[in-house]
Amino acid sequence: MTPGRRGPEPKENQGEKTLNHPKKVRVALIGLGKLGILHTAVVNMIPDAELCALVDVNKQLSRYAAQAGLKAPFFTDTERMLAEIRPDAVVICTPAFANLSVARPCLERGLDVFVEKPLAHTFEAAKTMVALAGRGNVVSATGYLMAHMTIFQKAKSLISEGVLGRLERVRSSVYTSEVFAKKKGWLYDREKSGGGAVINIASHLLYLLYWYFGQAREVFAQAKAIYSDVEDAATALLLFDGGLHGTMDVSWSLPGYRLPHTEIHIEGDNGTMEVSGDYIKLYLFHAHKSYPREWTTIHKIDLPSTGRFIIGAEGLYEEDQDFVSRCLDRGRPAVSWSDGFEVQRMIEAIYRSAARKKVISTGDLA
Amino acid sequence: MTVELDKLILGANPFEGVSYQSRAQAVHYQEQFAKEENVAAVLGAANTAGVKAFTCSNTSSVMGALKTYSKINDLRIYPVIPNAYEYAMEASEKGVLGAVLSKAKGFSMYQKVKFGLRALTKIKSVLTKDVMDLLLELLNFEMASFEKFNLGGVILHGQITDMALSSHNPDLIGIFQDVIRDTFNLEPILATHNFGTLLPQLVEWKIRIPIMAPFNAKGFMMKPSKDECETLVRESGYQILAKKVLAGGRLTPEEAFPYLLDKNVASVVIGIGSVSEAYHTFSVAKNILKV
Repeated sequence: MTPGRRGPEPKENQGEKTLNHPKKVRVALIGLGKLGILHTAVVNMIPDAELCALVDVNKQLSRYAAQAGLKAPFFTDTERMLAEIRPDAVVICTPAFANLSVARPCLERGLDVFVEKPLAHTFEAAKTMVALAGRGNVVSATGYLMAHMTIFQKAKSLISEGVLGRLERVRSSVYTSEVFAKKKGWLYDREKSGGGAVINIASHLLYLLYWYFGQAREVFAQAKAIYSDVEDAATALLLFDGGLHGTMDVSWSLPGYRLPHTEIHIEGDNGTMEVSGDYIKLYLFHAHKSYPREWTTIHKIDLPSTGRFIIGAEGLYEEDQDFVSRCLDRGRPAVSWSDGFEVQRMIEAIYRSAARKKVISTGDLA
Repeated sequence: MTVELDKLILGANPFEGVSYQSRAQAVHYQEQFAKEENVAAVLGAANTAGVKAFTCSNTSSVMGALKTYSKINDLRIYPVIPNAYEYAMEASEKGVLGAVLSKAKGFSMYQKVKFGLRALTKIKSVLTKDVMDLLLELLNFEMASFEKFNLGGVILHGQITDMALSSHNPDLIGIFQDVIRDTFNLEPILATHNFGTLLPQLVEWKIRIPIMAPFNAKGFMMKPSKDECETLVRESGYQILAKKVLAGGRLTPEEAFPYLLDKNVASVVIGIGSVSEAYHTFSVAKNILKV
């Protein structure tokens, strides 16, 4: 197979693209939950961006935002904000079930839109969003953060340059210690979130698999609700074009994972590669360019840093900077809605397979 | 104004299960330091090596170890407040204020009377409160955990400092400064992961507070860049507490400490994962840094 035929190109050493454009991108932030607050902080620090409006349905947040020093005008209604402020772009951090209804009026006005992952709570809603975005010349980006983390970019480079030779098998997992009892909130309500650990936690990993290997052709999955009304854990068998096959395992109910931990083990006919957020460990049967036979470890700490500011997580600044830069140069964002939709297709295949107990072909999900 | 700071300070990242090296090491730390006696053993080794200052949040295993640590009177603590990690973990379900209330449940009756009841009453009517009032309550809550200890200075958690920085808001930092100085008679310190952005902003705001930020030969987490941070630390005149000096474990003490010699740092904060590491690291630090 040809790995990584789809998705953005590796960005290693590309550095930050601050364009020093004479015009700043006027960005409105919609949805002031945890991630919305972080994106607000980041947008406020990007030289090419101006935070021009804040939107949240909770009016009480207006006073907090003002007292916290956020000078942008506050609205409880997106349509009113759009009419009064006329932003260039919006960053949408609403709960997933609201993404389509919030994005629609923005797209109808031809605005550039970043939406936090997942693209939507259902496959149908995501499909509608992509169709709406396709009607205009808009920049549409989505928040699969790992595309902006240096260690995962390095792994993409290695795969793309064929270090492992022909790819045979991949084993991947993401675990976190988050749910050990029934929890409240929209995240645990399937109607609003679209699901549990798969759509909310594993979607990041599924993006990486899509970025590295392209879309899975067939999926067979099992999902299990242990504490929640949504699935707390799931396992999927994935078959990619070219014969690569493998597994994806997720749980948000495993003790000992202070933060979400992602691992990908790739086997090729020239060796193996283990990728995590901390390091890449290569074992090669034959040397490949500068990579010697047998073991090489590449630590994240040794890779050059990219973003000029950090808050919340590595990559968040780079992610928003990428969106703002693409708003200015009209280029393709690192993670477009088309990419986000392909992840949504994998998620849908996993859910359908788990529900029907049969293999699902992603090509049948139109 | 120059503040008297301990030259070497033991950090708490390993005690809280944080490793930048690998998941395996993080698990090892979690398992090892879930036992309070293992935390106390590293504190004891640091003390024997002449390091009598410690910076930590109020995580339960660390607080448990401090309660039973035999040389507690010989230890100066620099609390990091608020415990942003624990609040963030609980906030998705309970909201930030629910997370605060949850934490407050751990206080003794005496502490509740002294701090908690007043604050709890206010938090119940939180929607009528100002951000600054809430921040004050949060600081009081967090400081209550440390009231029995000998304190050296109080460090504002980096996430809070960097949020204040990104919202271009001097008031949040000003309130922290005033409360720590006026109410607790201690020196405020700002932690940050954005030293090169924070320092010029503090100069503009005319706020002069020691800063704790990453400094290491690899440039790990030195934002916006290693060069810019190095230039600023040389020229600023601010007191700097260097952290992540071992670059998350990618540098040995012998490789790491010479870098700091000409960097004009006032203190060095080092997280330690074992007793033997404590003896070795602090011995090398004292030898190279001449402290």
